[in-house]
Amino acid sequence: MTATLSSQGYDQAAFDELLAGLDEPGWMTDRRRDAFQAFCDTPWPSSKDEEWMRTDIRLFKLDQFAKPADPASSPANPGLLTQGVDLGGHVQSVDGDLVSEELSDSLAAKGVLFGGMQRMIAEHGDKLRPAIERDIVCPKYDRFAMLNAAFWTCGAVLYVPKGVAIEEPLHALSVLGAEKSADLSRTLVVLEDGAEATLLAETASASPDAAGLHCGAIELIVGAGAKLRYVNLQNWNNKVWHFAHQKAVVGKQGQLQWTIGALGAKLAKVNQHVALEGSDAEAQVNGAMFTQGRQHLTYNTHQHHEAPYCRSDLLYKTALQDKSRTVWRGMIKVDKPAQRTDAYQRNDNLMLSEHSRADSIPGLEIEADDVRCTHGSTSGKVDESQIFYAMTRGYTRKEAVRMIVSGFFQQIFDRITIESVREALGEAIGQRVQDLSNQ
Amino acid sequence: MSFHSVGSVDEFPDPSSTLVEVDDRAVALIHAAGHFYAIDDVCTHDGGPLSDGPIDAEAKTIACPRHGAKFDLKSGAALTMPATKPTVAHEVKVEDGQVLVRLSD
Repeated sequence: MTATLSSQGYDQAAFDELLAGLDEPGWMTDRRRDAFQAFCDTPWPSSKDEEWMRTDIRLFKLDQFAKPADPASSPANPGLLTQGVDLGGHVQSVDGDLVSEELSDSLAAKGVLFGGMQRMIAEHGDKLRPAIERDIVCPKYDRFAMLNAAFWTCGAVLYVPKGVAIEEPLHALSVLGAEKSADLSRTLVVLEDGAEATLLAETASASPDAAGLHCGAIELIVGAGAKLRYVNLQNWNNKVWHFAHQKAVVGKQGQLQWTIGALGAKLAKVNQHVALEGSDAEAQVNGAMFTQGRQHLTYNTHQHHEAPYCRSDLLYKTALQDKSRTVWRGMIKVDKPAQRTDAYQRNDNLMLSEHSRADSIPGLEIEADDVRCTHGSTSGKVDESQIFYAMTRGYTRKEAVRMIVSGFFQQIFDRITIESVREALGEAIGQRVQDLSNQ
Repeated sequence: MSFHSVGSVDEFPDPSSTLVEVDDRAVALIHAAGHFYAIDDVCTHDGGPLSDGPIDAEAKTIACPRHGAKFDLKSGAALTMPATKPTVAHEVKVEDGQVLVRLSD
């Protein structure tokens, strides 16, 4: 059932080979063909595009990456987010191949679907088709979206029926193992009206220095009165190119808490969109980024208010070391009918070295006339007097810096209600903080 | 750090500016008035690429195509606004018809 690409590149031959190895409904194959045609007809984004102006992908060579021909072995590490958590199920993929999936019997009995995307579409295609055909992430948004829509091989589906509340978190782990392997994955979460669930998703590299490519799409559909907590920890090594389109739509009185941790990748370009479609819907978006070396992470966020009385609250915190660079572009878009919108976005940057750089570009586009929309952005260095004070109390400089960085992220941690996620993120960031005197 | 070959001399006409990749770094290789220069292909003003910018072979400068900041080809120094910080200059030599670049850091 899983496909194996033996030829390099993403040309017609590779596409035909992929289709030959797939077992999926015709409508899905038609979608792939459509996306592949668009992929062939479209150039890569140019640095002249406003969206790509600050993200240099001239050194990215797609043909260097492919799904390895040999099946990879299962990862030894079950992931950072699973420690101390009773999971209701998990999905794991390595190098674009599903390696294991599991769902507890009690959840399956309630009608919950959770598993690898290919199997889910093969077995429950009719049920999932309306959600997929909504094109929450536009398959033709840009060439990366087209690449993913044509060539995706793995990913996870979570479907929670009406009124079903899941207490145990579910876990999805994507691993890149082999040198120059590619992970083209999709995630689809559908919470029907009144449903509740928590999905913890994370990425990891099996080797610290194997180059790789991730080109992904994440689609989250939160029904009326439904409640989704979604955590996405990007923890690739620093040689992985990471491109992703992510979008959530929230129905009437639905609630979404979306937490992003961005620690890895050589270069990441992520579009994270939230659309509040039903009235009185709510979205809280939390982002914690930590960069080092020559990493470059770009996050474009979009809070789209389509209906009245909705609330959105976005907070991104970034700490940068060495010569790393981050770009955050945020937009709050309020449509004309979305009166009584309450929206906020904020990005704080902590520069831990002289040579790091953070670009922070908030934006508002408001068509309604009765709204509260505000934004904020700060960039600054660690306060030397705080370090001095901590050192007079007996801490080493390194301990003092760690405390200050940890304090900087505390506002994000306070908003994360899942203890294991809070601890895992705090631990992962703590390990990355170096002594400022070495900068 | 060792020298990396980025191509043969014939591949870089005089004058020209070319983006080359050295150890995962984007480097602008400039051939001007018989000399080769290599600097990071990054304008320190807004982080955009430099290699498409116009070269002044006599003054040994390259200008950022976006906002016009000029950089010294030899040292990477920022010569005019809006750039205020230098870009990184790398060592270049020609051996056996090959252009070799050694990264500075």
